[in-house]
Amino acid sequence: MSRRPSTLARLERILTMVPWLLDNPGVGVDEVEERFGVSRDELADDLDILGYCGLPGYGGGDLIEASLVGDRVTVRMADFFARPLRLSVREAVALLLAGRAVASVEPLGESDALRRAVAKLEQAMGGQTARVALDLRAPGDELLPALRAAVADGDVVRLVYRSASAQTTERDVEPWALVGRGGAWYLQGWCRQATAPRDFRLDRIRELRPTGERVAVTPRPAVPPVYVPGPDDTVVEIDLAPGAEWVAEEAVVDDVRTVDGARRVRLRASSLEWVARLVVQLGGSATVVGPQALRDRVRALAAATLAGYGPKN
Amino acid sequence: MIDRLERLLNLVIALRETRRPLTAAEIRERVAGYGQPDAEAFRRMFERDKADLRSLGVPVDTAPLDAYDDRVGYRIDPRRYDLPAVELAPDELAALALALEATGMAQDAGAGLLKLEVGAGEPGAVTAGGPADVRLGVALEAPHRETLLDAQLHRSVVRFAYRPLGRDAAVRTVDPHALVHRRGRWYLVGRDHDRDARRAYRLDRIAGDVTVVSGPDAFAPPPDDVGVDDVVPPPDPAGPETAEVVAAPAVAWQVARRARGGGQPAADGWTAFTVAVGDPDDFAFWALSFGPELRVEAPAALRADVVARLQRLAG
Repeated sequence: MSRRPSTLARLERILTMVPWLLDNPGVGVDEVEERFGVSRDELADDLDILGYCGLPGYGGGDLIEASLVGDRVTVRMADFFARPLRLSVREAVALLLAGRAVASVEPLGESDALRRAVAKLEQAMGGQTARVALDLRAPGDELLPALRAAVADGDVVRLVYRSASAQTTERDVEPWALVGRGGAWYLQGWCRQATAPRDFRLDRIRELRPTGERVAVTPRPAVPPVYVPGPDDTVVEIDLAPGAEWVAEEAVVDDVRTVDGARRVRLRASSLEWVARLVVQLGGSATVVGPQALRDRVRALAAATLAGYGPKN
Repeated sequence: MIDRLERLLNLVIALRETRRPLTAAEIRERVAGYGQPDAEAFRRMFERDKADLRSLGVPVDTAPLDAYDDRVGYRIDPRRYDLPAVELAPDELAALALALEATGMAQDAGAGLLKLEVGAGEPGAVTAGGPADVRLGVALEAPHRETLLDAQLHRSVVRFAYRPLGRDAAVRTVDPHALVHRRGRWYLVGRDHDRDARRAYRLDRIAGDVTVVSGPDAFAPPPDDVGVDDVVPPPDPAGPETAEVVAAPAVAWQVARRARGGGQPAADGWTAFTVAVGDPDDFAFWALSFGPELRVEAPAALRADVVARLQRLAG
């Protein structure tokens, strides 16, 4: 049972639908239902109302002619609604933002058509739009075309993958979707080795091979978060100096509070190794509060890295 | 409320098709649906209808009746009502549909795409986007997006507390010119009042709320050249353009992607690469992500910076 739309929502729909119906006389009900998200009954109601509308005087020749005969819809005598209402600022901004975002990712292969569309829209809006510029390029995005095809066809892919904790493994993945967030691209899918949903950062995929196996492309499961905490995870606490606070937004964090001017975050990690690597990478902008095992691992990792620079550094 | 829907449609038609503005009295008399109530009831009804139409973006104008009559009337200018011809090709419409799905902005775009499809060829030529295989939604969730877009559109001045890296928060007053997204981060580009210069602000470093502190049209339309380049830190003229690094076999492939080149064999089966540096902080972050499997060789200043970071951790 769909909720009855408000009068204004219906008015907006009619003002959008009538120009299209005028353009396509005798169009099938199915097509109208699908395109405008109306049921046959709602459409019949709308057409009925239109039959009482027209130019003041409201005599023959003034009223809109709207009919639903068999499965065919026809609207006539409504030249004043030949064009849709112009785009609202909100609609235009959303279209431009979305268009520019996807166009900025060249490997997706949508850039040409989108750039043309965005240019035409901007011109039509005559400066009445917000300026928004986007650059969503990220390492590893050259794999997007191959992975998009795999997602579309349900092709199981084999990855040679180097994880955040520096383990290189081979995994067969049933691909679900590609997600761009926080300046990186991820492949989301079912990992057969982990027998669980997993996210793979594209710039960590060393090799990508088809397995020749194909799974049914079913309605996709809800998008899992980038990291799903498990029951065996270790709880760790880190202080983040200003400048490293973005970590709190990127990781799955249980708690954030401010201690002595630093942000103290508590998060759960399936392996201490990736947290240790993250702390080393932050190069002193992050300090381990606990556990001791993590502190030790960070020190060992930093010392091992330092050793590469020689005894006198 | 079928009566009301019918009345609103008739009001739009009457105001669009009139040669001169209609007075409230004329509307009450002529437009279907306004006849019965008393004067006060009519006034309230008409005020509400006018406000609702405007909220949908229907341009209901108030204008003097004519040059000799200063009573006001109402009309809708068809030139301001009608969507101008945009004439998008089917592939352009399909790409826009996909972009809306991918970015999770279909809701925000409302009827926008349907409006653009009017006049675009045969029915069925354009397929509405299904569930997208690509999602960019999270990347578009800019903090304060609504406020800043609104302020930008109305050219209103904004004020906020801004906390640059490693410094205390300070209040900034800015003419918002553009929002820019780069590599996972949102920026506001605009004219800073105190410095009288164009600046870029990371939205995630704005502390607290963004307040609009002027009426609309408070500044001139910004120049056309605002873009992604405004938020790229200008390369430090004294800083290095490239660095020499050596990488262990396990990570050489990852480094090769950044280096955009094959590299040269080095000792112990490692590979030497020349990579672009860009922002030195970002470079150190990248280099340290490989742990013991990558070493920065040159220039000396970058190498020393990486070593210093490691010493703080190993100490």
